[in-house]
Amino acid sequence: MIYLYDFIIALTCTIGFAVLFNLPRTAILNAGFAGGFSWVIYNLFHNITHSSVLSTFVASLAIAILAETFAVKFKFPATIFIVPAIVPLVPGHALYYTMLSIIQNNYSAAVRYGSETVLVSIAIAGALTVVLSVNSFRKLKRSPN
Amino acid sequence: MNEIDSKKLLKMTLYTAEILLQSGAETYRVEDTIVRMCTSRGFDYVESFVTPTGIFLSLNNKGDKPEDIITLVRRIKSRSINLNRVAKVNDFSRQFVSSDMSIEEAFNILKDIDKIKPYPALIHAIFGGIASAFVTLLFGANIFEFMAAFITSIMVTFSIKNLDKISFPPFLTNISGGCVATIFAIIFASLYPAIRIDMVVVGAIMVMVPGVAITNAVRDSISGDLISGLAKAAEAVIIATSIAFGVGFILQLWILISGGKLL
Repeated sequence: MIYLYDFIIALTCTIGFAVLFNLPRTAILNAGFAGGFSWVIYNLFHNITHSSVLSTFVASLAIAILAETFAVKFKFPATIFIVPAIVPLVPGHALYYTMLSIIQNNYSAAVRYGSETVLVSIAIAGALTVVLSVNSFRKLKRSPN
Repeated sequence: MNEIDSKKLLKMTLYTAEILLQSGAETYRVEDTIVRMCTSRGFDYVESFVTPTGIFLSLNNKGDKPEDIITLVRRIKSRSINLNRVAKVNDFSRQFVSSDMSIEEAFNILKDIDKIKPYPALIHAIFGGIASAFVTLLFGANIFEFMAAFITSIMVTFSIKNLDKISFPPFLTNISGGCVATIFAIIFASLYPAIRIDMVVVGAIMVMVPGVAITNAVRDSISGDLISGLAKAAEAVIIATSIAFGVGFILQLWILISGGKLL
């Protein structure tokens, strides 16, 4: 039940970002679905492992795989689905607390939040890298020229 | 194909590449599109080098002497994100490659694509508000923080769009965005004690977060365009830093004014 709530909220918020990035109308809802689904995955893994880096990694993997599937099905570039869907995963929270800790002269907290910001960003980028390079390898195998 | 035709093709391809690059496409996609479009019209020598700030393109026809290579360079200065155009140009390039469309026809299609406007500013602002309000809910905000984030984010979206329109430097635009978000968060938090500043700020800065830059940096790096990848990664870092700078500046100011406490 709580996952359904998360799904709907993340879906709405991804649709918001999709409009901000001027997605084609027909792609907006699909991007929203990718965002909602990835947030459910994120929560599921976060409840089990309590690690935001690992959960972000798995959620980004889900986004990238969904986006590649949608790209083939709806004939849009995969980026279109990835861009709005990853925004809720971006570590805005950690970024804010890094800044707050610096202002309060609490440098050990700043380092903790700062490294979380960097690691979560790397997790997103890493997951995208894995899926996209597997996919480009597959395309290369299919059309050898 | 005679020389005039190849020059026309070159101009048309550059126009395609320009629209793609200005709308937020990855550089690998731009290079790929250029090469496919030119080779489909029988050019045997096509080299393109695309970075986020410029396009270099050389062409030579089959059987022509190497001295006849034509090259064009186009500098790209303004960039804005319009993924609708990327999708449309992608469709167009597939069509162009698989049919024998004339270059005039292609130019007309491209001009139509170039005319596609982003969604109106009001729609942008409202959906920006929806996006950040729902982000705060994901992090466990209450209904007051939800409303505050909605209003704050509409203000942030409006101000960054308007600053973009007068081509204010991007770095300063993001700093101002962070400032606006924090100012409104502080106002709301002092009006109503159930509102936490951090929730509202985190929600509102989400609309400025460099999602496109992160995605493009990854895609460019793994396809071997290391220069573009690094440039995009640097862009992402600069945007994030400037947002944090704006937020930090106002927070520091508020702490000084209110005498050391942050509500």
